[in-house]
Amino acid sequence: MRKLLVITVTLAALTVMLQAQGRGGRGGRGDAPGRGDGREAQGGVLTDNGGIRYINPGSPTIPDAEINSHPIPRMPDGHVDLTGPWVGGGSNGDIERDGGLKPGELPLQPWAKEVRDKRLSKDEPYTACLPMSVPRVNPYPWKFVYGYTSEGLTHMYVLHETGDAGAHRVVYMDGRPHARNWVNNWWGHSIGRWEGDTLVIDTVGYNDKFWFDSRGTPHTEQLHTIERWTRTSWGRIENDFTLEDPGALTKPVKLHFTGRLLRPDRQTGKADLMEFICLEDNEYGQAAQIKVGTGTDGKK
Amino acid sequence: MRKVGILLAALSIFGVAAPALAHHGFDTEYDANKKVKLEGVVTQVSWTNPHMRVYIDVTGPDGKVTNWNMELTSPNTIRRQGWGPDDLKAGDRVIFEGFGGKVVESRGSLQSIMKKSDMKPLFGPGGPDAAQPVKQ
Repeated sequence: MRKLLVITVTLAALTVMLQAQGRGGRGGRGDAPGRGDGREAQGGVLTDNGGIRYINPGSPTIPDAEINSHPIPRMPDGHVDLTGPWVGGGSNGDIERDGGLKPGELPLQPWAKEVRDKRLSKDEPYTACLPMSVPRVNPYPWKFVYGYTSEGLTHMYVLHETGDAGAHRVVYMDGRPHARNWVNNWWGHSIGRWEGDTLVIDTVGYNDKFWFDSRGTPHTEQLHTIERWTRTSWGRIENDFTLEDPGALTKPVKLHFTGRLLRPDRQTGKADLMEFICLEDNEYGQAAQIKVGTGTDGKK
Repeated sequence: MRKVGILLAALSIFGVAAPALAHHGFDTEYDANKKVKLEGVVTQVSWTNPHMRVYIDVTGPDGKVTNWNMELTSPNTIRRQGWGPDDLKAGDRVIFEGFGGKVVESRGSLQSIMKKSDMKPLFGPGGPDAAQPVKQ
Protein backbone atom coordinates (compact mmCIF):
# COMPACT_ATOMS: atom_id res chain seq x y z
CA MET A 1 0.00 0.00 0.00
CA ARG A 2 2.84 2.38 0.89
CA LYS A 3 4.54 1.50 -2.37
CA LEU A 4 1.34 2.36 -4.24
CA LEU A 5 1.19 5.68 -2.41
CA VAL A 6 4.78 6.50 -3.35
CA ILE A 7 4.12 5.67 -7.00
CA THR A 8 0.94 7.75 -7.03
CA VAL A 9 2.61 10.78 -5.49
CA THR A 10 5.57 10.44 -7.82
CA LEU A 11 3.42 10.22 -10.92
CA ALA A 12 1.35 13.20 -9.78
CA ALA A 13 4.50 15.25 -9.34
CA LEU A 14 5.72 14.19 -12.76
CA THR A 15 2.42 15.16 -14.32
CA VAL A 16 2.74 18.65 -12.88
CA MET A 17 6.31 18.89 -14.20
CA LEU A 18 5.21 17.68 -17.59
CA GLN A 19 2.39 20.21 -17.78
CA ALA A 20 4.77 22.96 -16.74
CA GLN A 21 7.12 22.04 -19.56
CA GLY A 22 4.31 21.72 -22.04
CA ARG A 23 3.29 25.32 -21.38
CA GLY A 24 6.65 26.46 -22.55
CA GLY A 25 5.92 26.61 -26.23
CA ARG A 26 8.80 27.44 -28.48
CA GLY A 27 9.83 29.85 -31.08
CA GLY A 28 10.30 28.08 -34.36
CA ARG A 29 14.05 28.22 -34.63
CA GLY A 30 14.93 27.33 -31.08
CA ASP A 31 14.17 30.60 -29.42
CA ALA A 32 13.11 30.69 -25.81
CA PRO A 33 9.58 29.69 -24.92
CA GLY A 34 7.20 32.55 -24.68
CA ARG A 35 4.92 33.74 -21.93
CA GLY A 36 4.52 37.20 -23.30
CA ASP A 37 6.39 38.94 -20.51
CA GLY A 38 9.97 38.10 -21.33
CA ARG A 39 10.23 36.32 -18.00
CA GLU A 40 11.52 33.22 -19.70
CA ALA A 41 14.57 35.16 -20.76
CA GLN A 42 16.03 35.46 -17.28
CA GLY A 43 19.37 33.74 -17.60
CA GLY A 44 20.11 30.08 -17.30
CA VAL A 45 19.91 27.34 -19.82
CA LEU A 46 16.33 27.00 -20.93
CA THR A 47 14.16 23.98 -21.35
CA ASP A 48 11.74 23.85 -24.23
CA ASN A 49 8.42 22.08 -24.25
CA GLY A 50 10.03 18.89 -25.47
CA GLY A 51 12.19 18.75 -22.37
CA ILE A 52 15.39 19.21 -24.33
CA ARG A 53 17.96 21.65 -23.04
CA TYR A 54 20.18 23.82 -25.16
CA ILE A 55 22.44 26.81 -24.60
CA ASN A 56 20.24 29.88 -24.53
CA PRO A 57 20.82 32.20 -21.58
CA GLY A 58 18.14 34.58 -22.84
CA SER A 59 18.03 38.35 -23.08
CA PRO A 60 18.94 39.78 -19.65
CA THR A 61 16.29 42.09 -18.17
CA ILE A 62 15.82 44.23 -15.08
CA PRO A 63 14.66 42.02 -12.17
CA ASP A 64 11.48 42.75 -10.24
CA ALA A 65 13.45 44.12 -7.27
CA GLU A 66 14.91 46.93 -9.40
CA ILE A 67 11.95 48.08 -11.46
CA ASN A 68 11.52 51.23 -9.35
CA SER A 69 15.22 51.97 -8.89
CA HIS A 70 14.95 54.91 -11.30
CA PRO A 71 12.12 57.35 -12.06
CA ILE A 72 10.10 56.87 -15.23
CA PRO A 73 11.95 59.04 -17.77
CA ARG A 74 10.38 61.71 -19.95
CA MET A 75 11.22 63.17 -23.33
CA PRO A 76 12.20 66.86 -23.64
CA ASP A 77 8.65 67.70 -24.78
CA GLY A 78 7.14 66.07 -21.70
CA HIS A 79 5.91 62.81 -23.24
CA VAL A 80 6.68 59.73 -21.20
CA ASP A 81 9.71 57.88 -22.59
CA LEU A 82 8.61 54.44 -23.76
CA THR A 83 11.82 53.75 -25.66
CA GLY A 84 13.09 50.65 -23.85
CA PRO A 85 14.52 48.36 -25.25
CA TRP A 86 11.98 45.85 -23.97
CA VAL A 87 11.86 42.09 -23.86
CA GLY A 88 8.40 40.56 -24.06
CA GLY A 89 5.16 42.49 -24.13
CA GLY A 90 3.35 40.28 -26.62
CA SER A 91 2.53 36.73 -27.56
CA ASN A 92 5.01 34.08 -28.64
CA GLY A 93 4.33 30.47 -27.69
CA ASP A 94 0.54 30.68 -27.22
CA ILE A 95 -1.41 33.95 -27.44
CA GLU A 96 -4.21 32.56 -25.31
CA ARG A 97 -1.93 31.71 -22.41
CA ASP A 98 0.56 34.54 -22.93
CA GLY A 99 -2.31 37.05 -22.92
CA GLY A 100 -3.64 35.86 -19.59
CA LEU A 101 -6.54 33.67 -20.71
CA LYS A 102 -7.35 30.18 -19.54
CA PRO A 103 -7.28 27.28 -22.00
CA GLY A 104 -10.26 27.55 -24.32
CA GLU A 105 -11.09 31.17 -23.47
CA LEU A 106 -9.81 32.64 -26.74
CA PRO A 107 -13.11 32.83 -28.69
CA LEU A 108 -11.91 31.21 -31.90
CA GLN A 109 -14.42 30.23 -34.54
CA PRO A 110 -14.46 26.49 -35.34
CA TRP A 111 -12.49 26.87 -38.57
CA ALA A 112 -9.80 28.83 -36.75
CA LYS A 113 -9.50 26.17 -34.06
CA GLU A 114 -9.16 23.56 -36.76
CA VAL A 115 -6.41 25.52 -38.51
CA ARG A 116 -4.56 26.04 -35.22
CA ASP A 117 -4.68 22.35 -34.45
CA LYS A 118 -3.40 21.36 -37.88
CA ARG A 119 -0.51 23.79 -38.08
CA LEU A 120 2.98 22.60 -37.20
CA SER A 121 5.59 24.84 -35.61
CA LYS A 122 8.05 24.01 -38.37
CA ASP A 123 5.82 25.94 -40.77
CA GLU A 124 5.87 29.20 -38.86
CA PRO A 125 6.37 32.02 -41.36
CA TYR A 126 8.94 33.70 -39.16
CA THR A 127 11.19 30.67 -39.32
CA ALA A 128 11.68 31.74 -42.94
CA CYS A 129 12.63 35.25 -41.75
CA LEU A 130 9.18 36.74 -42.37
CA PRO A 131 7.68 39.26 -39.90
CA MET A 132 5.94 38.16 -36.72
CA SER A 133 3.65 41.21 -36.68
CA VAL A 134 1.27 42.22 -33.86
CA PRO A 135 1.13 41.34 -31.01
CA ARG A 136 3.90 38.81 -31.31
CA VAL A 137 7.39 39.29 -29.91
CA ASN A 138 10.05 36.64 -29.67
CA PRO A 139 12.51 36.72 -26.76
CA TYR A 140 14.78 39.26 -28.42
CA PRO A 141 14.62 42.98 -27.58
CA TRP A 142 12.57 45.61 -29.38
CA LYS A 143 12.08 49.34 -28.84
CA PHE A 144 9.97 52.37 -29.61
CA VAL A 145 11.73 55.16 -31.51
CA TYR A 146 10.20 58.64 -31.38
CA GLY A 147 10.13 60.34 -34.78
CA TYR A 148 10.24 64.10 -34.31
CA THR A 149 10.02 66.54 -37.20
CA SER A 150 9.50 70.30 -37.38
CA GLU A 151 5.83 69.51 -36.71
CA GLY A 152 6.55 67.67 -33.48
CA LEU A 153 6.12 63.96 -32.83
CA THR A 154 4.71 62.84 -36.18
CA HIS A 155 5.77 59.19 -36.22
CA MET A 156 6.54 56.43 -33.78
CA TYR A 157 8.61 53.52 -35.02
CA VAL A 158 8.79 50.03 -33.53
CA LEU A 159 12.12 48.32 -34.13
CA HIS A 160 12.66 44.63 -33.44
CA GLU A 161 16.16 43.27 -33.11
CA THR A 162 15.33 40.21 -35.13
CA GLY A 163 15.16 40.90 -38.81
CA ASP A 164 12.49 38.25 -39.06
CA ALA A 165 10.23 40.49 -37.00
CA GLY A 166 10.31 42.99 -39.86
CA ALA A 167 12.66 45.89 -40.45
CA HIS A 168 10.48 48.50 -38.81
CA ARG A 169 6.87 49.26 -38.05
CA VAL A 170 5.46 52.75 -38.56
CA VAL A 171 2.82 54.31 -36.31
CA TYR A 172 1.48 57.61 -37.60
CA MET A 173 1.18 60.15 -34.78
CA ASP A 174 0.19 63.15 -36.91
CA GLY A 175 -3.55 62.76 -36.61
CA ARG A 176 -4.23 61.21 -39.98
CA PRO A 177 -7.07 58.67 -40.29
CA HIS A 178 -6.64 55.09 -41.47
CA ALA A 179 -5.72 54.82 -45.14
CA ARG A 180 -8.33 54.15 -47.80
CA ASN A 181 -7.95 51.64 -50.62
CA TRP A 182 -5.15 50.02 -48.63
CA VAL A 183 -3.18 46.98 -49.76
CA ASN A 184 -3.22 44.65 -46.75
CA ASN A 185 0.27 43.84 -45.51
CA TRP A 186 2.28 42.36 -42.65
CA TRP A 187 2.14 45.33 -40.25
CA GLY A 188 -1.13 46.88 -41.39
CA HIS A 189 -1.83 50.60 -41.06
CA SER A 190 -1.22 52.00 -37.58
CA ILE A 191 -2.32 55.34 -36.16
CA GLY A 192 -1.36 56.40 -32.66
CA ARG A 193 -2.38 58.95 -30.05
CA TRP A 194 -1.65 59.75 -26.42
CA GLU A 195 -4.20 59.28 -23.68
CA GLY A 196 -2.28 60.83 -20.82
CA ASP A 197 0.89 58.77 -20.52
CA THR A 198 -0.58 55.85 -22.43
CA LEU A 199 0.29 55.36 -26.09
CA VAL A 200 -2.75 54.00 -27.94
CA ILE A 201 -2.09 52.33 -31.30
CA ASP A 202 -4.99 51.40 -33.56
CA THR A 203 -4.16 49.11 -36.47
CA VAL A 204 -6.13 47.68 -39.40
CA GLY A 205 -5.16 46.47 -42.86
CA TYR A 206 -3.18 43.40 -41.84
CA ASN A 207 -2.68 40.46 -44.16
CA ASP A 208 -3.58 36.99 -42.88
CA LYS A 209 -0.16 35.40 -43.37
CA PHE A 210 1.46 35.69 -39.96
CA TRP A 211 0.74 33.55 -36.92
CA PHE A 212 -0.02 34.97 -33.47
CA ASP A 213 2.12 32.26 -31.88
CA SER A 214 4.11 29.11 -32.55
CA ARG A 215 0.92 27.20 -31.75
CA GLY A 216 -0.41 28.46 -35.06
CA THR A 217 -3.32 30.64 -33.92
CA PRO A 218 -4.71 32.22 -37.11
CA HIS A 219 -6.57 35.42 -38.01
CA THR A 220 -8.11 37.03 -41.09
CA GLU A 221 -7.71 40.32 -42.93
CA GLN A 222 -10.57 41.65 -40.79
CA LEU A 223 -8.14 41.83 -37.89
CA HIS A 224 -8.26 45.05 -35.88
CA THR A 225 -5.92 45.58 -32.93
CA ILE A 226 -5.79 48.26 -30.26
CA GLU A 227 -2.65 48.42 -28.14
CA ARG A 228 -2.51 50.53 -25.01
CA TRP A 229 1.12 50.87 -23.88
CA THR A 230 1.78 52.22 -20.38
CA ARG A 231 5.17 52.41 -18.65
CA THR A 232 4.16 51.61 -15.11
CA SER A 233 7.70 51.74 -13.72
CA TRP A 234 11.27 52.27 -14.89
CA GLY A 235 11.60 48.55 -15.52
CA ARG A 236 8.20 47.51 -16.92
CA ILE A 237 5.77 48.37 -19.69
CA GLU A 238 2.22 47.04 -19.88
CA ASN A 239 0.30 46.29 -23.06
CA ASP A 240 -3.47 46.21 -22.68
CA PHE A 241 -4.43 44.64 -25.95
CA THR A 242 -7.80 44.43 -27.66
CA LEU A 243 -8.15 41.84 -30.39
CA GLU A 244 -11.03 42.05 -32.85
CA ASP A 245 -11.47 39.78 -35.84
CA PRO A 246 -15.02 38.93 -36.90
CA GLY A 247 -13.54 36.54 -39.44
CA ALA A 248 -11.77 34.35 -36.87
CA LEU A 249 -13.20 35.21 -33.44
CA THR A 250 -16.77 34.97 -32.20
CA LYS A 251 -16.31 38.21 -30.22
CA PRO A 252 -13.58 40.75 -29.37
CA VAL A 253 -11.23 39.78 -26.59
CA LYS A 254 -8.93 41.70 -24.24
CA LEU A 255 -5.44 40.39 -23.50
CA HIS A 256 -2.62 41.68 -21.34
CA PHE A 257 1.14 41.46 -21.77
CA THR A 258 4.12 42.83 -19.83
CA GLY A 259 7.46 43.93 -21.26
CA ARG A 260 10.67 43.96 -19.19
CA LEU A 261 13.43 46.53 -19.63
CA LEU A 262 16.60 45.14 -21.21
CA ARG A 263 19.55 45.15 -18.82
CA PRO A 264 22.33 47.60 -19.75
CA ASP A 265 25.34 46.15 -21.52
CA ARG A 266 28.11 45.31 -19.05
CA GLN A 267 30.81 47.07 -21.03
CA THR A 268 29.04 50.24 -22.11
CA GLY A 269 26.40 50.74 -19.44
CA LYS A 270 23.83 51.23 -22.19
CA ALA A 271 21.13 48.90 -23.49
CA ASP A 272 20.39 48.82 -27.18
CA LEU A 273 19.51 46.62 -30.11
CA MET A 274 22.21 44.76 -31.99
CA GLU A 275 22.59 43.74 -35.62
CA PHE A 276 20.57 40.71 -36.64
CA ILE A 277 20.55 39.54 -40.26
CA CYS A 278 18.07 36.72 -40.32
CA LEU A 279 18.99 35.32 -43.71
CA GLU A 280 22.71 35.22 -42.98
CA ASP A 281 22.80 31.53 -42.11
CA ASN A 282 19.29 30.21 -41.52
CA GLU A 283 19.76 26.44 -41.34
CA TYR A 284 16.52 25.69 -39.54
CA GLY A 285 15.16 22.31 -40.56
CA GLN A 286 18.32 20.88 -42.08
CA ALA A 287 19.06 18.58 -39.16
CA ALA A 288 15.74 16.89 -39.87
CA GLN A 289 15.87 17.36 -43.64
CA ILE A 290 12.51 19.13 -43.64
CA LYS A 291 11.21 22.15 -45.51
CA VAL A 292 10.18 24.83 -43.07
CA GLY A 293 8.61 28.24 -42.97
CA THR A 294 5.85 27.68 -45.50
CA GLY A 295 2.96 28.48 -43.20
CA THR A 296 1.76 31.68 -44.87
CA ASP A 297 -1.58 30.07 -45.48
CA GLY A 298 -4.28 32.54 -44.54
CA LYS A 299 -7.96 31.70 -44.70
CA LYS A 300 -8.90 30.94 -48.30
CA MET B 1 15.95 2.83 -0.77
CA ARG B 2 13.25 1.01 -2.66
CA LYS B 3 11.26 4.23 -2.76
CA VAL B 4 14.23 5.94 -4.36
CA GLY B 5 14.40 3.14 -6.88
CA ILE B 6 10.74 3.53 -7.72
CA LEU B 7 11.17 7.30 -8.04
CA LEU B 8 14.17 6.92 -10.32
CA ALA B 9 12.29 4.43 -12.46
CA ALA B 10 9.38 6.83 -12.78
CA LEU B 11 11.71 9.71 -13.63
CA SER B 12 13.33 7.57 -16.27
CA ILE B 13 9.96 6.87 -17.87
CA PHE B 14 9.12 10.56 -17.72
CA GLY B 15 12.35 11.53 -19.41
CA VAL B 16 11.57 9.38 -22.41
CA ALA B 17 7.89 10.26 -22.61
CA ALA B 18 8.03 14.05 -22.36
CA PRO B 19 9.06 14.92 -25.93
CA ALA B 20 6.39 12.68 -27.39
CA LEU B 21 3.71 14.65 -25.56
CA ALA B 22 4.82 18.04 -26.83
CA HIS B 23 2.28 19.57 -29.22
CA HIS B 24 4.77 21.54 -31.29
CA GLY B 25 8.31 21.84 -30.27
CA PHE B 26 11.96 21.54 -30.36
CA ASP B 27 11.82 17.96 -31.53
CA THR B 28 10.98 19.25 -35.00
CA GLU B 29 14.72 19.04 -35.64
CA TYR B 30 16.45 17.18 -32.85
CA ASP B 31 16.09 13.73 -31.36
CA ALA B 32 15.83 13.44 -27.58
CA ASN B 33 17.03 9.87 -27.83
CA LYS B 34 20.28 10.91 -29.49
CA LYS B 35 22.00 12.43 -26.48
CA VAL B 36 25.73 12.75 -27.12
CA LYS B 37 28.75 13.62 -25.01
CA LEU B 38 31.86 13.92 -27.12
CA GLU B 39 35.38 15.28 -27.20
CA GLY B 40 36.81 17.03 -30.20
CA VAL B 41 38.66 19.96 -31.69
CA VAL B 42 36.87 23.15 -32.70
CA THR B 43 37.23 23.91 -36.38
CA GLN B 44 35.05 27.03 -36.50
CA VAL B 45 32.91 29.21 -34.24
CA SER B 46 30.26 30.95 -36.35
CA TRP B 47 28.88 34.08 -34.72
CA THR B 48 26.14 34.11 -37.32
CA ASN B 49 22.42 34.89 -37.40
CA PRO B 50 19.90 33.71 -36.72
CA HIS B 51 21.74 31.23 -34.48
CA MET B 52 25.37 30.59 -33.55
CA ARG B 53 27.06 27.37 -34.52
CA VAL B 54 30.18 25.63 -33.30
CA TYR B 55 31.83 23.16 -35.67
CA ILE B 56 33.87 20.42 -33.99
CA ASP B 57 35.96 17.60 -35.42
CA VAL B 58 35.36 14.38 -33.48
CA THR B 59 37.50 11.31 -34.11
CA GLY B 60 35.60 8.05 -33.76
CA PRO B 61 36.93 4.74 -32.42
CA ASP B 62 37.66 3.68 -36.00
CA GLY B 63 39.73 6.79 -36.64
CA LYS B 64 37.09 8.39 -38.84
CA VAL B 65 36.71 12.14 -38.27
CA THR B 66 33.21 13.64 -38.24
CA ASN B 67 32.67 17.38 -38.22
CA TRP B 68 29.76 18.15 -35.86
CA ASN B 69 27.64 21.26 -36.49
CA MET B 70 26.23 22.28 -33.10
CA GLU B 71 23.54 24.98 -32.79
CA LEU B 72 23.10 27.54 -30.01
CA THR B 73 20.88 30.58 -29.72
CA SER B 74 21.53 33.93 -31.43
CA PRO B 75 25.01 35.48 -31.20
CA ASN B 76 23.48 38.65 -29.72
CA THR B 77 22.08 36.65 -26.80
CA ILE B 78 25.50 35.17 -26.09
CA ARG B 79 27.21 38.56 -26.49
CA ARG B 80 24.83 40.11 -23.96
CA GLN B 81 26.02 37.58 -21.40
CA GLY B 82 29.59 38.78 -21.80
CA TRP B 83 31.05 36.25 -24.25
CA GLY B 84 33.00 36.98 -27.43
CA PRO B 85 35.27 35.51 -30.09
CA ASP B 86 38.25 35.37 -27.72
CA ASP B 87 36.52 32.82 -25.51
CA LEU B 88 36.45 29.88 -27.95
CA LYS B 89 38.55 29.54 -31.06
CA ALA B 90 39.41 27.05 -33.78
CA GLY B 91 41.96 24.61 -32.44
CA ASP B 92 40.55 24.48 -28.91
CA ARG B 93 39.98 20.96 -27.63
CA VAL B 94 36.52 20.75 -26.11
CA ILE B 95 34.12 18.42 -24.39
CA PHE B 96 30.53 19.01 -25.39
CA GLU B 97 27.06 17.61 -24.86
CA GLY B 98 23.93 17.89 -26.93
CA PHE B 99 21.35 16.10 -29.01
CA GLY B 100 21.79 14.76 -32.52
CA GLY B 101 19.67 15.78 -35.48
CA LYS B 102 16.68 13.66 -36.38
CA VAL B 103 18.07 12.76 -39.78
CA VAL B 104 21.57 14.26 -39.91
CA GLU B 105 22.91 13.15 -36.55
CA SER B 106 26.01 15.35 -36.64
CA ARG B 107 23.83 18.45 -36.89
CA GLY B 108 23.12 18.80 -33.22
CA SER B 109 21.69 20.99 -30.50
CA LEU B 110 24.44 22.15 -28.14
CA GLN B 111 23.60 21.65 -24.49
CA SER B 112 26.99 22.44 -22.98
CA ILE B 113 30.56 23.00 -24.08
CA MET B 114 33.83 23.57 -22.23
CA LYS B 115 37.50 23.69 -23.11
CA LYS B 116 39.33 20.66 -21.86
CA SER B 117 42.08 22.92 -20.57
CA ASP B 118 39.93 24.53 -17.86
CA MET B 119 36.60 22.65 -17.90
CA LYS B 120 34.59 25.86 -17.43
CA PRO B 121 31.16 25.95 -19.12
CA LEU B 122 30.99 28.45 -21.98
CA PHE B 123 28.22 30.74 -23.24
CA GLY B 124 25.94 30.66 -20.20
CA PRO B 125 25.02 33.60 -17.96
CA GLY B 126 27.95 35.57 -16.55
CA GLY B 127 30.65 35.53 -19.21
CA PRO B 128 34.07 37.18 -18.71
CA ASP B 129 32.80 40.64 -19.69
CA ALA B 130 29.85 40.39 -17.32
CA ALA B 131 31.88 40.21 -14.12
CA GLN B 132 31.33 43.83 -13.09
CA PRO B 133 27.78 45.09 -13.36
CA VAL B 134 27.38 48.71 -14.34
CA LYS B 135 24.70 51.18 -13.36
CA GLN B 136 22.48 52.75 -15.96
